Amino acid sequence: MRRQVPLALCFVFGVVMVLIEFSPHPYSKFLYNEVINWSLIITPFALVLGVATLVQTHWIRIRRRAEYWQYSFVVFIGMIVMVTIGIPFGPSHKAFAWLFKYIQTPMDATMFSLLAFFIASASYRAFRARTLEATLLLVAALIVMIGNAPIGDLIWNKIMPFGENLPSTARQWILENPNLSSRRGVILGVSLGVISQSIRIILGIERSYLGGGD
Amino acid sequence: MEKLIGVWIAAFLTLCIYSFLYRDNPFYRFAEHLFVGISVGYGIVLSIHQGLIPLAWTPFWQAITQWPPGWGLTKLIPIAIGLLFFARLIPNYAWLIRYPIAILMGIGSGLAIPNVMQADIFRQVHGTLVPFSQIHAGTLSGSEIFGAILMLIGVISTLTYFFFSVEHRGVVGGVSKVGIIFLMIGFGSAFGNTVMGRVSLLIQRVEFLLQDWLHLI
Repeated sequence: MRRQVPLALCFVFGVVMVLIEFSPHPYSKFLYNEVINWSLIITPFALVLGVATLVQTHWIRIRRRAEYWQYSFVVFIGMIVMVTIGIPFGPSHKAFAWLFKYIQTPMDATMFSLLAFFIASASYRAFRARTLEATLLLVAALIVMIGNAPIGDLIWNKIMPFGENLPSTARQWILENPNLSSRRGVILGVSLGVISQSIRIILGIERSYLGGGD
Repeated sequence: MEKLIGVWIAAFLTLCIYSFLYRDNPFYRFAEHLFVGISVGYGIVLSIHQGLIPLAWTPFWQAITQWPPGWGLTKLIPIAIGLLFFARLIPNYAWLIRYPIAILMGIGSGLAIPNVMQADIFRQVHGTLVPFSQIHAGTLSGSEIFGAILMLIGVISTLTYFFFSVEHRGVVGGVSKVGIIFLMIGFGSAFGNTVMGRVSLLIQRVEFLLQDWLHLI
């Protein structure tokens, strides 16, 4: 009951989804859409559970007066404000859109742009071209970066009498040839891994997602 | 007015986050925690309004308000399954959470097998090999033929590098070394693209501060 039924459910749903894919019958299509809808209904509950865990974690921080516990209130305030406006009035409400535009989007972009500084220091360590592989990485990254910025072509065309717009052309060639071929290799490898792992899950060989215990 | 307040708040939060470049400080921690709260709240609202309400609540409500009850009543099944996630909060019944997880894993795995095969494996192999039929037809230029051959060598050597069922010695070792070269160029270009993406965001934020907030440019 505790392990066998979930494994059986996983097997049934997995096999049904695979078989439906190969059947053009209208009933199959209906069943396919219905199962997809089921998964879309079930998934938000997992998010609610994640939120419950987040609330629990921050509540414990506040109760125990852990380090920086005051900031846990900020998490609650942010979440409550969004939920209080968003759930009754919907995401297209003016106030919700305002919060998204002037608070969430700027912070999101700033957080990611912060990485530009850390990448700069990380690349200094990574790009010390001591081996052939490190040199290739360095040269490819430099060409892509210079070719991406319009100033790269501008400087090249000013100082070099040959190869008009060479940086952007070289960047394009690298992206479309060696880069794409290695990506294809990685995608093929990952895809084969996904398929084998999916088969293991459906057949109940891989059952770590059930967790420990009975 | 609301735009003005919004721009000032956005500028303040932007500066709060950039203050981390000096060192960890209360302003950064405030912005960081606010970001977590706001993002989680946003996720909740979207999943309710774009998931639960249109897919579960609306059909269910339509089903119970009409007579005889319609197909929408079946929505009670996934709702009940989803509610089992909350069993995690009751230690004695925590094992019930395995039911929704197992169903989602089954659906996800069942979907993945045909879709990954079609979208990734067949498409990628197709994209790698199709240029050779064009070579045969004589419609490709010299550089395109070179590109097609390079692509095939890159794909095979990269796959060989990740093939651990045989020892990487002799021919296999040589081919996998070629694979490393392609991988390094691929990683380098991915790194270059990532850096440029982050720098673009930085430029956008600086532009916001100088243009929208301070009106200097």
